[in-house]
Amino acid sequence: MRRLLVFAVGCVLLTSACSAAGGDAETNKLTVFAAASLTAAFTQIGADFEAANPGVSVTFNFGPAGGLAAQIESEGTADVFAPASLSWMDEVANKVGVHDRTDFARNTLTIITPPDDPAGIGSIADLARPGIQLVLAAPGVPVGDYAREALRKAGIERAALANVVSNEHADPGVVAKVAAGEADAGIVFASDIAPAAARAVRAVPIPHAMNVIAVYTIAVVEGSAHQPLAEEFLRYVIGPEGQAALGRYGFLPPP
Amino acid sequence: MSLRVDVRARRGTFIVEAAFHAEPGRTLALLGPNGAGKSTLVDVLAGLLPPEAGTVTLEAITLDDATAGTHTDPEARPVGVVFQGLLLFPHLSAAENVAFPLRARGIPRQEALRRATELLADLGLADRVSARPRDLSGGEAQRVALARALAAEPRLLLLDEPLSALDVRSRTQIRALLRRTLVEFPGVRLLVTHDPVEAMTLADRLVLLEDGRVTQAGTAQEVRAAPRTRYAADLVGVNFFEGRLERLDPGAGRIAAPEGDVVVAWPHDIGTEGESVIGILRPADVALHVQEPEGSARNVLRGPISQIAIEGERARIHVDSSPPVVAEVTLGSVARLGLHEGSDAWASFKAVEVRVLPP
Amino acid sequence: MSATTGRSRKAHSTPVGLSLLAALGLALVALPLLGLALRTPWSRLGQTLSSESALTALRLSLVVSIAAAAIGLVVGFPLAWMLARSRFRGRALVRGLVVLPLVMPPVAGGVALLTAFGRSGILGRPLHEAFSVQITFTTWAAILASTFVSFPFVVLALEAGIRSIDERLEQAAATMGASRWYVIRRVTLPLLGPQIAAGVVLAWARALGEFGATITFAGNLQGRTQTLPLAVFQQLQTDPEGAIALSLLLIAVALSVIVALRARFLPAS
Repeated sequence: MRRLLVFAVGCVLLTSACSAAGGDAETNKLTVFAAASLTAAFTQIGADFEAANPGVSVTFNFGPAGGLAAQIESEGTADVFAPASLSWMDEVANKVGVHDRTDFARNTLTIITPPDDPAGIGSIADLARPGIQLVLAAPGVPVGDYAREALRKAGIERAALANVVSNEHADPGVVAKVAAGEADAGIVFASDIAPAAARAVRAVPIPHAMNVIAVYTIAVVEGSAHQPLAEEFLRYVIGPEGQAALGRYGFLPPP
Repeated sequence: MSLRVDVRARRGTFIVEAAFHAEPGRTLALLGPNGAGKSTLVDVLAGLLPPEAGTVTLEAITLDDATAGTHTDPEARPVGVVFQGLLLFPHLSAAENVAFPLRARGIPRQEALRRATELLADLGLADRVSARPRDLSGGEAQRVALARALAAEPRLLLLDEPLSALDVRSRTQIRALLRRTLVEFPGVRLLVTHDPVEAMTLADRLVLLEDGRVTQAGTAQEVRAAPRTRYAADLVGVNFFEGRLERLDPGAGRIAAPEGDVVVAWPHDIGTEGESVIGILRPADVALHVQEPEGSARNVLRGPISQIAIEGERARIHVDSSPPVVAEVTLGSVARLGLHEGSDAWASFKAVEVRVLPP
Repeated sequence: MSATTGRSRKAHSTPVGLSLLAALGLALVALPLLGLALRTPWSRLGQTLSSESALTALRLSLVVSIAAAAIGLVVGFPLAWMLARSRFRGRALVRGLVVLPLVMPPVAGGVALLTAFGRSGILGRPLHEAFSVQITFTTWAAILASTFVSFPFVVLALEAGIRSIDERLEQAAATMGASRWYVIRRVTLPLLGPQIAAGVVLAWARALGEFGATITFAGNLQGRTQTLPLAVFQQLQTDPEGAIALSLLLIAVALSVIVALRARFLPAS
């Protein structure tokens, strides 16, 4: 009786291991690793792409650029990589290799406050006021680095950073804290507050001179098992449909 | 300076109604079968179960008064309890267990332990003071529980089935020790038990409790002479008949009972015809025959012998007649008559030998 | 002759199947740790771990987890007592509420904490408006988040423990002149020793590893709310090897405490 149990367990393990290994050989399944800020836009684009190409299924892995890069380097299951950071794309290009690298969108920063604006934030200079509770993304998260750059350009980096009460791990965290009324202000991408979030926060624009333009690149990961499909997805994103979708989600066209 | 109890207490659907009193310097035994309500009364006296009605007073202090709504919490009562199951604290040594009542009352640790060790030494446990309860034998644990109950010098000592958990040998030992300790205890002593031997050897007075009610109170002699219920009769080992008194012929009557009728001498001092009475008959007054006897005995009952119980040099023969009777004869008679279980026998006794009592 | 010895040997040794499954279970835990150890940048380990951010995160983690366990005990014992001893209506509901943090995703727990104690929360708003007190973004918020997710362990362990104590022992103590508090101090708590230890250690371990509720409710700021788990996740963005080093630190702390308390986990000594 016991031997039977051991045998059964062994079989289950073997078969599941086999199917896990052989699963990737399907040619119409695509895995896209993309920046967290692209979640809404890419999910839409993915759905549109599947509709346009019946039988194809697109799976997304959204997350911080660094985390995604680490996963790609250790596992290599990604077919397409689309971070919000040029440096992380360089990193993956060096460690693993990419091709067809293309800039496909831009994003600008914006200040957000709770709808009732409890701290009276009218411009970026107000972020330097002592006592303001400011939430940013953590250094290393693209929008976090960009925000700090913008603050530096505005000449208020030191004062504003003293006001930081939390370094969120991802953009949605910043939006959530501000929308809940916990923080007085935050700095995120314009795309982060497109459609759904737009009603939950109030936006204060940053003057162009101080703003930071983030450039999004997309590339096919070397060694991907679905190269042709990956290249087609890439073309879709750069093409009219993809660009239109990105525009609806608050992104600017590529340079 | 005594204990007066007159209460009705409820535990779930079970109700106990009891009234009795106990004097200091004498041991009272609350004796009854299991389920009679003895432990319920222990809890009432200890303060763990407030009575539904009635009062409990100890030395003129009212501990419970249901109508006035007063209830003294257990921690405020001068009561020492030896619980059934002992309930020694497993995480404390023997000495610490005995010291617990003293420390709970604020006595400093050193002093409490000193007194505890003294008490334990008195009970022969000087070398077991640091032992944990799990390392003590049954008899040793019983003594520790006793010492713990005595430690704070209570005015009322309650012992709930103190010997029931012990084996036969320890029981005899501890019984002797208990008797000594009880005699030395100046306050009121109440022993609760289902074992008549325990009750009769340790107590001066008995209160019989059956099914939540007190059915008889008195010394062992008094109960033996006039048991009021079948349980009491069984306890003291007499024959017990209960039924309606009927006239038979001049000078004689009959106790008519469903198990069978018994002819008795007409009891002029009690009751009239038709009333309920009890009849007590000592087994020693019953004669046994292997053939139908002739004679003046008005009661001649026939039946198979259902049991022969030897007690020392006597034998108690249970005859399954209508009604059943127990006869006490010498061993010699058993041999001479060739009595054995299953064989038929005639039991006879005179009408005057049955003592008729009101119920 | 050999038949009898064979039978008795089988009776005492562990069955093969059981050993195999046990080994699988052990592998499940041991392999990731082994992977971590192999990938650790041993050469710069000392440097990474002695950096200001690492030490601050460690200090904060210890403060928060110990505080959470302590608060859990203070708040959890009375709750466990009521659940074990009092008969009140809605007891099942209360127990369900207590267990809830265990089954909630920690982030959901964090969101729930915000709705209660955040600046615009049920309790948070009046606190903020009346006393200008804000709980979010403070170390207390981190402690609150960690307590929320870990105190069910204390309550469950203690409730089981209190139930297992014969109530008659406490009644007996009362007849010996012990007040309610004396009974709890001298009888109940000492007898609960092993369960208290087990509950507190489990709660502490859970609090130490808490991430989701902390980052959602308390935020992430070095020196104030960035505990080790939060520091690890942040390191992952910029310096994955450093993150591994920090993870090792977290594991080392937890492991050393649990191993040191090994015997206390077992209720019967």
